[in-house]
Order: sequence, then C-alpha cells, then structure tokens
Amino acid sequence: MKKSFVLAAVVAALLMSGCSQKKPEVDMTKQEAAEETAPAVTEADRGISSVVGTEEVGELSTIPENVRMAKIKEIEASAKKIYFDFDKYNIRPDQEPRVDEDARLFSSDIAKDLTIKIEGNCDEWGTDEYNYALGLRRAKTVRDALAIKGIDESRMTMISYGESNPVCTEHNRECWAKNRRVEFELLP
Amino acid sequence: MRYLIILAMGIVLLASDATLEIVKSVDNRPSVVIQDASEITSSRLKEKFFRLLSGDLKVTAHFKVDDTYRVAGYDSMIDPLLKKSDYLFRYRFKEGSSFALYLDVKVFDLQSKNAVYERSYRVTNRARYPFLVHQAVIDFNDHLDLPNVDWMKRYVVLSQYSKPKHADIVVADYTLTYRKKIISGGLNIFPKWADRNQKGIYYTKLADRPTLYYYNIYTGKQRRVITSDGMLVCSDVSRDGKKLLLTMAPDGQPDIYMYDIEKGVRKRLTFYSGIDVSAQYAGLEKKIVFVSDRLGYPNIFIKSIGGRAVRQLIYHGKNNNACNVHGKYVVYTSRESDNAFSTNTFNLYLVSTQSDYIRRLTANGVNQFPKFSFDGESVIYIKHYESQSALGIIRLNYNEGFLFPLKGHKIQSIDW
Repeated sequence: MKKSFVLAAVVAALLMSGCSQKKPEVDMTKQEAAEETAPAVTEADRGISSVVGTEEVGELSTIPENVRMAKIKEIEASAKKIYFDFDKYNIRPDQEPRVDEDARLFSSDIAKDLTIKIEGNCDEWGTDEYNYALGLRRAKTVRDALAIKGIDESRMTMISYGESNPVCTEHNRECWAKNRRVEFELLP
Repeated sequence: MRYLIILAMGIVLLASDATLEIVKSVDNRPSVVIQDASEITSSRLKEKFFRLLSGDLKVTAHFKVDDTYRVAGYDSMIDPLLKKSDYLFRYRFKEGSSFALYLDVKVFDLQSKNAVYERSYRVTNRARYPFLVHQAVIDFNDHLDLPNVDWMKRYVVLSQYSKPKHADIVVADYTLTYRKKIISGGLNIFPKWADRNQKGIYYTKLADRPTLYYYNIYTGKQRRVITSDGMLVCSDVSRDGKKLLLTMAPDGQPDIYMYDIEKGVRKRLTFYSGIDVSAQYAGLEKKIVFVSDRLGYPNIFIKSIGGRAVRQLIYHGKNNNACNVHGKYVVYTSRESDNAFSTNTFNLYLVSTQSDYIRRLTANGVNQFPKFSFDGESVIYIKHYESQSALGIIRLNYNEGFLFPLKGHKIQSIDW
C-alpha cells in the first residue's frame, strides 16, 4: 500500500514538471514589480465559493442615510409632547401617561440607539432670562422622569428655547397652553 | 429756625431718593415752540421728523414743549404771536447728494428776539436721521446748561425674533426708530454691552449647545468665550469689563456663575436646586441681585459674592421675574394679580437696596425688559397695551413717562 502511494506521488511529480515546461515564457521582472506595490489581499470568503449552490443573496444591515433619517423623524413624530401649567415645571398628573409612553418608545428596539434632545418651551408671558430657565427646568423634569423609567441619562441632552419656538401664535389661552411644552428631537 | 433747617435738609434728602414719587412740582421749565422749515416734499417724512424732535425735547423733561406743528421759512421773521414762549426751535431738513441728509437748527430767545445759536448736522445715510435729531436736542439742552442728556445718543442693543428658533441682534437708537441688524442666522439672544463705551457685545448663540460670544460692533470680529449645556446667558459685566455674571446650567440646573475673562476661570455663586437667573452687580460689585424661584414663585433676592446668606429684596407682588440694577436702585417687573391673563398684568416698580420704599412706575399694560440708562436717571422698557407695543422711557427724577410706538418683530431682550 505504502509503495503504491509513493509511486503515484512520483508519477504525479513527473507529470506536473512536464506540464510546466509547456508554459509560455513571461517577463518575470514586471510581475515582481507589480507584486511589490500591490497590498496583500486576504481571501475572506472562507472557501464559500467552493460550496455548491445556485443563487447567492446578501442582505445589507445598513440603510442609506436619508432613509435612516426619515425613519428617525417618523419615530420622533410619534413621541408625545408634555404640557405644563403657567409658570410651572412639575409634571401634571394628566401628563404622566404621556411620559410613560415616551419612555416605552425611547427604550423600544427602533429607538434604543438614538440620542434624545429634550427641548423645553414656554408661552409668551414670561420675560427675558427667567423664561429660558423655566423652559430648561421643564426639560430637566422630563429628563429626570425618563431616567427613573429606565432611559440612560447619557442618551439625553437638554436645551431651552424659551418663547422662541411657539407652535401656536395666536394670543389666547388655548394657544399659550400649547406652547408650554417639552418636545423631543431624536438624533442618530 | 432750627426746625426750618431740619425741614430743608429733609426735603433735600427725600429729593435725592428716586424711589420717592414727586407728586407735585412747580413747573418753571423753559417753554419751547417748534417751527419746521424743511425742504422736503413728503409730508409723511415731515411729520415723522417733527414727532421725533418734539418727542426728544419732551423726553429730556427739561422743557414745556408746544406740540403744535408750525411751518416757517428758515430765514423768516419771528411771528410776534409766539412771544409767550421762551424759545423758538426752528429746523430745516435738506436732502443731500447720494443718501446724505442735513439738519440745520436755529434757536431764538423769544424774550430778547435774538438768535441764540445756529448749527448744522449731517448724516451720510438718511436712515440715520434719528441721530441728527438726538444730537440737535442734546446741543440745545447743553447750550442752556441743563442737566446732561447724553444718554440720548447711546445705542440700544436688542435681540428680535424673526421666525421660530431664529432671532437677530440689532443695534438701535434709544427710541428704536433706527435699527441696524448686526448678527443674523440662527437663534442669537441676550445681547449685553461688553464695555461702557459700547464697542462690543456679549451674546448667546443657541445651536446644539449654547455658546457665549464676544462681538466687536465696529470690526465685526467675534470670538467664542464659553460654552455650556442647557443654558448660558451673560446677565452683567463688571465696570472694568473683566468679569461676567453668567447664568449657566451644566446639568439642566440654572445657577449663577462669575467668569473671569482674563483667567478663563468660573466660580459658582448660587447653589439652589430651582431657578437662579439674571444676576447683576450691586453694592460696589461686592453683591449680586438676582431672580430666583426659591419661594415657589419668581422673586428678587440679594447676596454677597462669596457669602452664603441670601436675602429676599422684594416683599410685594406674586411674580417678580425680571429686574435691572443701577447702584442702590432696582427696577423690576411684577405680575399684579393671581389671574395670569388679566389685562393689567405686569407693572414696573422701583426700589432701593437701602430703604423700604417701593415706587410704582407704570399703571397699566404689560411692561417688560426694564433697563436703567447709563446715568441711572431713566428707565427704558417695552410696553404692550391693547394689542399695541411701545418703547417707554421713564425720567425718574422728573416723574414723567414717554412712549414711542413700536412696529415689527417681537423683542427677545434689550440692553441700553
């Protein structure tokens, strides 16, 4: 058995050496130069090309940036705004279920990797600096409530827009109530 | 005799306290009539110029101004019917080449019928006509050796909203008639004069994180001063311009800090878990006056820099959420009623840190953004009343108030 294996190997070596002599001559200097500059490439298909099959499909896990941003805006639009009383920054009992909903949304699979920018807003009645501070305290109250409900503080940033970002510009109570709010911007 | 001297001293002392209202005073101010000799065809412009001139003369509080609009030739004889008044202020606006505008002024003493003086003024752009008028009135006032009114030519810097999350910074004359936009794009708020000569301002740009900038209004150069999370406002600058009082909120917690510009070092001055804002230097810059909600509603407090004790300064009003300090005086806004939305909502009051007197400065409407003049003798503010807005000036020592109607965008903040 051993003898026949050795014989086969010798025959194979002879056949191969015979084949190489039939190859056309090539300019080896050029080939060496090319090998020096080209980076080393490691084949990464792990031999998959040898696996017998018919159709190859690969699903990309990343999506184009604009599609991703549109998705983020969609999630953002579904977040609930939190409304406040005149000159107050505590969360009203009727707003607590909305905070719960936001906490659920922000910890869900579709939003858990996003940064949450919490924006505090006021009506037109305050003056000057105090109004911006009031907006910020509204943002902080909501951030603290979300943190208690399990949202990581490092994901949340706060800013106050004071009275500069009204959603309603009429001068009546309903309108002012709509402007005393915290809303969210989600960022990748 | 001794009682008389004490009484006289009492009157002097009382008169020096601006918180005391002057109820009645004998009006022995010089009376002035105005004549327009302008070579301008537009009657609308003529009316504008006259109203500003007559307004300026009144705001000095040094004259009894006859409001009648009179026309006369610049070199014409004096109408004998005017001799009841003390002075005749005759003026002539003339358009020059390009956009230049000239103002000639001739003042007559009606008792002696002599021309007192004659002067000419010019601006290269006619949009700057308010400065012509202010300078002419300052000169008239100075010529009669009346108390200085140089505050008239100081600039006001303000931030005005242009659309949601957008505000521009504008430099204006004290009546806000002339306005020049200096910073735009994004949300630019809380402008504050950086020096006594009004060469530069500090302001906050609110992008992702609030950043405080210094901006030179003559070169247009700006530099970043400091950035903070949440909120960042420069509420006062020390007299030497080297230290700033800031409201910062590194963790969403608005507190007051003092920032040394040269060393780049900040020091926290308040430690309350609610809102502390709007700090201003008081008492030779050893103390600060600020707004806090530590009693459950916004009110005015005072504390020593470096000290722990905080003292309530105002024991009146339901909601005192903005103030301005000049020396020992504090002017503040106060909500009058529990009903937040009644028509009589915010009034201005004046107090002294050294006495218990309170003087009400306004009687109706929503009065906001009170700021002392450079010399502390006047207060500028914005008034909203029955869907109209106006810039108000109160001459504290004369107990007189004046309003200039305002049009245009909503004001975010002003500094004088």
